[in-house]
Amino acid sequence: MQEHEAIVRAENLHKTFTLSKKQQKIERTGEKRRVAVNGLSFSAYRGEIYGLLGPNGAGKTTTLRMLSTLIRPDGGDAFLCGHSIVKEPQRVRDVIGFMTSELKLEGFFTPDYLFDFFGAMHGVDKATLAARKKELFSRFGIDKFSAVQVKNLSTGMLQKVSLVVSIVHDPQIVIFDEPTNGLDVITAKVVTDFLEELRRMGKSIILSTHIFSLVEKLCDRVGILIGGKLAAEGTLEAVAQGDLERTFFALYEGEGGTL
Amino acid sequence: MKFLALIKKEFHRFFHDPRLIVTMLLPGIVIFLLYSVLGEAFNGKAEARQYKVYLMGNSAVTEVISAAAKENGDSVEWLKTDDEETAREAVRKGEAAAVLKFSENFDGAEKGKVEILYDASNEASAAFYSLASAALNVYGMRFTVAAESVTGADALGVQILCNILPLLIVAFVFSACMSVTLESVAGEKERGTLATILVTSAKRSHIALGKIFPLACISMLGALSSFLGTALSMPKLMGLSLNMLGTYGFWNYFFILLLIVSVVPLIVSLIAVVSAYSRSVKEASAYTGMLMILSLVLTLVATFVPSLGNWTVAIPVLNAVVSMQALLTGTLPVWQSLVSVSVNFALTAVLVLVMTMMLSDERVMFGK
Repeated sequence: MQEHEAIVRAENLHKTFTLSKKQQKIERTGEKRRVAVNGLSFSAYRGEIYGLLGPNGAGKTTTLRMLSTLIRPDGGDAFLCGHSIVKEPQRVRDVIGFMTSELKLEGFFTPDYLFDFFGAMHGVDKATLAARKKELFSRFGIDKFSAVQVKNLSTGMLQKVSLVVSIVHDPQIVIFDEPTNGLDVITAKVVTDFLEELRRMGKSIILSTHIFSLVEKLCDRVGILIGGKLAAEGTLEAVAQGDLERTFFALYEGEGGTL
Repeated sequence: MKFLALIKKEFHRFFHDPRLIVTMLLPGIVIFLLYSVLGEAFNGKAEARQYKVYLMGNSAVTEVISAAAKENGDSVEWLKTDDEETAREAVRKGEAAAVLKFSENFDGAEKGKVEILYDASNEASAAFYSLASAALNVYGMRFTVAAESVTGADALGVQILCNILPLLIVAFVFSACMSVTLESVAGEKERGTLATILVTSAKRSHIALGKIFPLACISMLGALSSFLGTALSMPKLMGLSLNMLGTYGFWNYFFILLLIVSVVPLIVSLIAVVSAYSRSVKEASAYTGMLMILSLVLTLVATFVPSLGNWTVAIPVLNAVVSMQALLTGTLPVWQSLVSVSVNFALTAVLVLVMTMMLSDERVMFGK
C-alpha cells in the first residue's frame, strides 16, 4: 500500500482546549488547559482503510474534527488530497465525507430531499445527483424508503441514509468517527459492510475506534493514539504483532497508562 | 446554488408543515376575532347617539364630522357659543359631548388651530372625540389639533391607537420571529443538524444568510398576519369606525410596512445570533425572552415619554416605534422613517456578519 499516493498527510498537529470551571469540577482537576493532540503526524494512502485506535480521551475525535475542518489546529497542518485544512478548509470539505454520531439529519425531511439538499450544498449538478441517487439508493436498499420522513425510519435505515448522504458528492476521502459506537449488531453490520463497499469503490477511509475487533476486521493500516501522541503506526500485521490487544496494552502501559 | 439550496430548505421546512403555517398565521386571526368581540362588548350601543357639541368659531369641518357621524348612524347637534366656561361645564356634567374651538378664519388660514374639549371618562364624549379626530384627519393637515379632556382622564381613541398599535406590532413581530428562528437555529444546533451543514463546502456567510433571509420572510408573514389582525380590529376595540383606517394615506401605510420590513430581519438576526451562541433551545428562549422585554421597554418609553427627540433614530426598534407613532397620527416623517429603516438594515448586516463569525467559531459551535 505504501507505494501508493498519501491522500491524507497530517504534520505535527497540535490542539489544546481550555477547560471550563464546570469541566474542571466534573473531571476533578485543577488544570485549566488540556492538550488533546500533541504533535501528531501520520499518512493514509489512497484506497485503504486507516484506523486511529485509542482509548477515550486519546484525541481521536479531535484529530478527525481537525481533518474535517470543523475545528482548527493550534499548530501543524494536514493535507487532504493536497489541500491544507488550515489554509483551504472549504476545498477540503469538498473532498471529504464526514460521519459521526454527533452529525444528524433533520427528521422532518425525506432521504430523497436530504440527498438532493446535501448534493446542492456540495455543488453537485442535478443530472449527476439524480444518477448518483439512483445508484446509491438502490445499492443500499434506500429506494423503497426514499419518501419516508427520516424520523419514521428504523435505526438501521437511518444509519444507511446518513452514510449515503455523507458521500453524496462522491468524496475521495471518508472520515468516520467511532462508526459502530452505540449501534446494535444489525446496524453495526450495515456500517461495516458499507465501509468495505466504499473501499471496493476505491475510497480512502479514516476511522477512529476503541474496538480492537473492528480494526482487525476492516483496517489496512492502523495508528495507535495514546495521550494525543501516536504510539505506533503501520500495517495491521506490523502493529498487531500477532495480537493487537496485547500490543495495545503494552504500549498503553509504556506511555504511563494504568489499567 | 448552495445559498439557494439553504433558502429553499427553510421554506420547504415551513411550507410543508401545516402546523407551522397555522401557528404562524393563527395569532393574527385570533387577535382579530378577540379584539372585535371585545370591541363589540365594550362599545356596542343599543341606539344611535345624538351628540350635542358646542361650537366656537366656524369651519366646514363640522360638515365632515356630521357626515362621519351619520355614517355610523349617529347625529351631531351643533350649538354655537362664545361662553367657553359654560360649555366646558356642560361637557363635565355630561350634558354635551364636546366643545370644538376653531381659531379665527380657520378654513382660510395658512395654518389654523382646533381645540377639542371632551370628557375621556364619558363613553359618548370619548366616542365623539375619536370620531372628530378621524374626521379631522380626513379633512387635511394644514392645522393643528389640541385635544383636552375636561376631566383630566387619559386621552382615548386615536391617541391610544397611535401609542398602542406600534407596541403591539413590536410584540407580535418579536413573537413571530422567535417562533421560527429559535427552532431553526438553536434547535438545529442542539439536534446536531446544523453541524451536518457545516461539514459541507458552503461558505459560512451563505449559511448565515441562508438561515436569516428565509426566516425573516417567514416571520414577516406572521408579523403581517398579526399586524392586519390588530390594525383591522383595533378601531372596533377603541369604538372607532373602520373607516378611520382610510384616513391614512398610501405613504403612511407604505412607511409603516417599510418599518416592519426593516425590524423583522433585525430581530430575526438578533435571535439567530443568540440562538447560535446558546447550547439549547431552552437557553436561547431565556435570552430571547430578555431581549423581547428590552424591546417592549423601549416601546413603552416611546409611548409614555413625549418628544423623545431625533436621537431615537439611532436606537433599533425604538426608531421604528417612534416613526410608526408619528405615521399613525397622520403626519409623514419621511426622513425619520428612512433613517430608521437604514439603521435597522445596517444593524441586520452587522448581525449577519456576527452570525457568520460564530458559525466559524469552534468554541461556539462545538464547545461543551
